[in-house]
Amino acid sequence: MTAIPLAHLLILAAALFTLGMIGVMTRRNVLVMLMSVEIMLNAVNLTLVAFSRYHGWTEGHVLAFFIIAVAAAEAAVGLAMVLAVFRLKQTVYVDELKLLKR
Amino acid sequence: MSLADLQPLMLGLILACAALLVLLVDLVIKPSGKPILGWLTAAILAGTLVASWLLPLEGEVQAGVWQGNLWSTFLARVMISAGLLAVLGGLDYVARVWPYRQGEFYTLLLFSLTGMVLLPGCRELAAFVVCFELMGIPIYVLAAYSKNDNGKKPPEAALKLLLIGAASTALTFFGAALLVGMAGSSRFAELVPYEPGPLHAVAALLLLAGMAFKIGVAPFHMWVPDTYEGSPTPVVAFLSVAPKVAGFAALSSIFLIAMPTLAHAWRPMLWLLVVVTMVVGNLVAIPQTNLKRLMAFSGVAQVGYILLGFLGGAEFGAAMMLFYLATYVFANIGMFLIVHAVAEAGEGEDIVSLNGLARRSPWLALALLMFLLSLAGIPFVAGFWAKFYVFTAAWRAGHGEMVLLGALFATVALFYYLGVARAAFVNKSAIEGPVPVKRPLALAIVVCLLGTVGLGAWPNPLVEAALAAVQGLY
Repeated sequence: MTAIPLAHLLILAAALFTLGMIGVMTRRNVLVMLMSVEIMLNAVNLTLVAFSRYHGWTEGHVLAFFIIAVAAAEAAVGLAMVLAVFRLKQTVYVDELKLLKR
Repeated sequence: MSLADLQPLMLGLILACAALLVLLVDLVIKPSGKPILGWLTAAILAGTLVASWLLPLEGEVQAGVWQGNLWSTFLARVMISAGLLAVLGGLDYVARVWPYRQGEFYTLLLFSLTGMVLLPGCRELAAFVVCFELMGIPIYVLAAYSKNDNGKKPPEAALKLLLIGAASTALTFFGAALLVGMAGSSRFAELVPYEPGPLHAVAALLLLAGMAFKIGVAPFHMWVPDTYEGSPTPVVAFLSVAPKVAGFAALSSIFLIAMPTLAHAWRPMLWLLVVVTMVVGNLVAIPQTNLKRLMAFSGVAQVGYILLGFLGGAEFGAAMMLFYLATYVFANIGMFLIVHAVAEAGEGEDIVSLNGLARRSPWLALALLMFLLSLAGIPFVAGFWAKFYVFTAAWRAGHGEMVLLGALFATVALFYYLGVARAAFVNKSAIEGPVPVKRPLALAIVVCLLGTVGLGAWPNPLVEAALAAVQGLY
């Protein structure tokens, strides 16, 4: 098996990150916005892991684990809030929430 | 490694243990006894503040991953004071509005403070990531506590804060990941080489954008007014200052320690942000009628001045940034607590709800005036010295045009700050009788007032402390 070059992995990570950012800015469904944030954070992890493998160095892998944990906490809080909003408003679309529209 | 090696982290450890303690006490205590949790938190915070002078907090942890020195201790004191004032100010409110959820409230606040207190000392990215998020995530939850109407209002403002906060965190982390990857080390000191390439500059700008969201610099400030308006006022008092102080600490430790060789990339960008921030913050504040929205835009404008200190010359500028932050804590929390007191009396959160305050509660009105004067930078309250020193720093660094711009917008700011004072002192109100202020809230306002007036009369001790603290950064 030939190793995938570092540049390819970095380009993939940058593309994922950009897609995530576009998702956060343009999507109207709060759940999809949260998923887009997760894509951004996973692009960060991919960058770290790619560099780590390239350098043959473990710190990047460890850092990726920290970011996974942090992302999980953020998603938990985010989903709880979406649930709280949904209970009162029966919607997850930002167009129907007056504060988020601006 | 022994337990004694963790000595420099002591303030953070105390706060983390306190958070767990509050959670445990909450489990065993009767519902009627829950207000004691607020007093417990306040007592622990006061104790931690005193302990910051008594404990030896200097030294390195894990060969320089975390550095305890005057810099981290100074910032920890500022943040703990902010936490203490917010807890005292909100004590009765929390007990009345969320009687069964007081334990969680104080636990989250303490965890957030733990992250903040540990943030300035971080010199390595894994530690930084953990502290940054330990600070941020509890804040999202605190902001989601509903206002008076018993959970009938959806936490839209908090959801907005979370979405923007999480996206900005991802930006910060992506910039950091690129730097770490290229450097092959996560230590700040080794992050950027002597001759950085274009990708380093891109990473630095990504980091800068992420941080700009956190401290609420225009044009990354759109979450600020909505979150301030939609969240409970004692929470806003806390989140309008403490995360900002921590954000500036993080900004300093990353950009000044890790990226001096990239200054040609981030400095011009930051100067641009200062100009935009001052213009947007001050001009948009003028037409606001809601006090909390007004304070939100005033806060955006104030960040511009604090950044002026950050950019204005190495050590003196950073020290004056610290001084500015300390005076800002007193004036801003004081202001929000008065808004809170008036809103608690059933008058609402608009500027008109302050009408006739001077006649109804002269002392409250006097405190309000002092906070406003301090925020506007009028001699001789604390804020005047803060602005004066920040301008001096920028002037010394050869940025006379920025001083001119700052002074110009300080006069613009005077317009809306005095508009609030006019409501309290000139306008008449149909309502008679003093505004009822609960004891802990009154205590917090008095402390803010003493801080604002005291630092105006004797700024020197704090200036010297800030100058000494900055030595720890380099």
